[in-house]
Amino acid sequence: MATIARPTDDMPRPNIAKAGLQLPAVKDYEQVDREIMATLRPTKGWFAALTIAIVCLMIGAAAWTYQIHEGLGVAGYNPPVMWGVYIVTFVFWIGIGHAGTLISAILYLFRAGFRTTIYRCAEAMTVFAVLTAGLFPILHLGRPWKFFWLVPYPNWRLLWPQFKSPLVWDVFAISTYLTISTTFLFIGLIPDVAVLRDAEKNPIKKQIFSALSFGWRNSEAEWRHFARAYLFLAAFSTPLVLSVHSVVSFDFAMALVPGWHTTIFAPYFVAGAIFSGMGMVFTIIIPIRKFFKLQHYVTLNHLDAGAKLCLFTSMVVGCAYMVEFFIGWYGAVPVEQEYWWNRVFGQWWWAAWIMLTCNMILPLSLFSQSLRRNPTWLFILSLFINLGMWFERFVIIVPGLSHEYEPWQWSTYVPTFVDYSILIGSFGWFFMWFLLFIRQLPVIAISEVKEIVPPRLRRVHPYAPAPEGEFASDTPGAHA
Amino acid sequence: MIQGMLGAFRELDAAVDAIEALKKDRTGEITVYTPTPRHELEHAVHPPVSPVRKFTLAGGLFGAIAGYWMAIWCSEYWPLVVGGKAISTWIPYTVFSFELMVLIGGLSTVAGLFICAGIPRLTMTVGYDGRFSHGEYGVWVQCAPEKLKDAEAILRRCGAVEVHGAQ
Repeated sequence: MATIARPTDDMPRPNIAKAGLQLPAVKDYEQVDREIMATLRPTKGWFAALTIAIVCLMIGAAAWTYQIHEGLGVAGYNPPVMWGVYIVTFVFWIGIGHAGTLISAILYLFRAGFRTTIYRCAEAMTVFAVLTAGLFPILHLGRPWKFFWLVPYPNWRLLWPQFKSPLVWDVFAISTYLTISTTFLFIGLIPDVAVLRDAEKNPIKKQIFSALSFGWRNSEAEWRHFARAYLFLAAFSTPLVLSVHSVVSFDFAMALVPGWHTTIFAPYFVAGAIFSGMGMVFTIIIPIRKFFKLQHYVTLNHLDAGAKLCLFTSMVVGCAYMVEFFIGWYGAVPVEQEYWWNRVFGQWWWAAWIMLTCNMILPLSLFSQSLRRNPTWLFILSLFINLGMWFERFVIIVPGLSHEYEPWQWSTYVPTFVDYSILIGSFGWFFMWFLLFIRQLPVIAISEVKEIVPPRLRRVHPYAPAPEGEFASDTPGAHA
Repeated sequence: MIQGMLGAFRELDAAVDAIEALKKDRTGEITVYTPTPRHELEHAVHPPVSPVRKFTLAGGLFGAIAGYWMAIWCSEYWPLVVGGKAISTWIPYTVFSFELMVLIGGLSTVAGLFICAGIPRLTMTVGYDGRFSHGEYGVWVQCAPEKLKDAEAILRRCGAVEVHGAQ
């Protein structure tokens, strides 16, 4: 992480930010407003990306329509493997949703400076990822119009909720997470929407922004209550981040399926979720900083700090993989041992080695500082991490179900074009909402960036940073 | 009828000087507008601690109790006996207690913010200017008519780029 230590004169250390000067190329508040609000103007690239996202969504919608007409059989489910691509993708998107609240809440409590310019993107990513994940239990139904039967409330259909079931815990955990994440995003947006309101000339848009900003007027009293509320929301969100993926892991760990019934699942899932979320943050933020020319906001120092977090969680996940293999061997349960052998060297070797390569081996490149500060490599690596983390969920779910205790339970699973189409559609759905978001609302938190920009003063501040030098690599135009 | 004087400042330290001078002069009730929260302004205004935390505590406690109550009441009213185990057990029900604590605690925090900050607000109050969300600082002092001249003099002396009265 970036520290606030001052570099010594005889040893240039570009990785270390200077106290009080995180964004050296951002000079004043007017520049912040001007440059961040410029991201709201539509560009050809934005329209092209939105078109691709909508086409992907249409592919998924067409496949779902076909599935509803023909039945779930077209989705490649074959007993005993009744959880496949849909549940894999559900867990994948829930995991993606974790980095947002991690960055906005946990790093806020730890006062990690690098979160300031990336947290808005990460929060929006969280909300849209959880929205995407929420579709999959419905997509997994043969009669999706009966989806409300999934909601656990006592009813006259004789469907009583079993409060000891992890699936019921899941409903509460995910709906709470979606609500709090959305609230967190929306509360953080209020001061920024007020900035848009005050700058807007179009009367209709001004009215809309006025309504969305709730009449915010930047008074000191409002900021005081806002800061307090934001702190408490962050404090609530922190254990929530850790609990949600723990509860999702209980869906598996409470079952007796080989490879699932293990106490390591909760921390393993949480670390994996943060790892995959950081991967998706890089996938999103690196093109945004390049296309909107925001390199002097999302600096190489910020990417470096994020890459270190990515490396750390990769090693936690790698350690969890090794512990799983060790327990499989040391437990001396033949079924477990056969399951692990089958997973790594047998039927599912290809999926397991994609997972191990993408999640354990490639991220080790981040030990190199030059690669941590190379946006092109970080973007390529983030795509591998996304791939690897999808396969991690595949490797957890499918091999377990396809090789249980009795030989009659041994089977295989081959996803069909319907599975793949709906997977593509989920990416289309996610990116469509995200692209619409960055077109309408600031992609970087304006008011929080202003907090780290030195204010205009009449007198020279005794601790004012030096005006020039040391950060040439973080100025616009000096990037890959 | 609200009467007062508004000063717009480009520099943070000028706004701080104005607040301190107005407080020393006991001119009237001060409202400060700032594009971003600054400790310098907070120290100058010296406001009381925000009561939002009370909403958080009340909402969190209510949610924690409601989570246990909901799970226990539903289980007792619609019992599902599995494997001869107890109908109500506190360990799995802690999940519901925790989730509702976070949910209701979080939402009541937002309610606390809205109540304490007085939002949603249908109209901008007297003294607000759109510049204060961009880069300038505003100091609005609400005072008696005979104090308006003094307030204007203090604001100008401290470096306000624009001063005007409002009612």
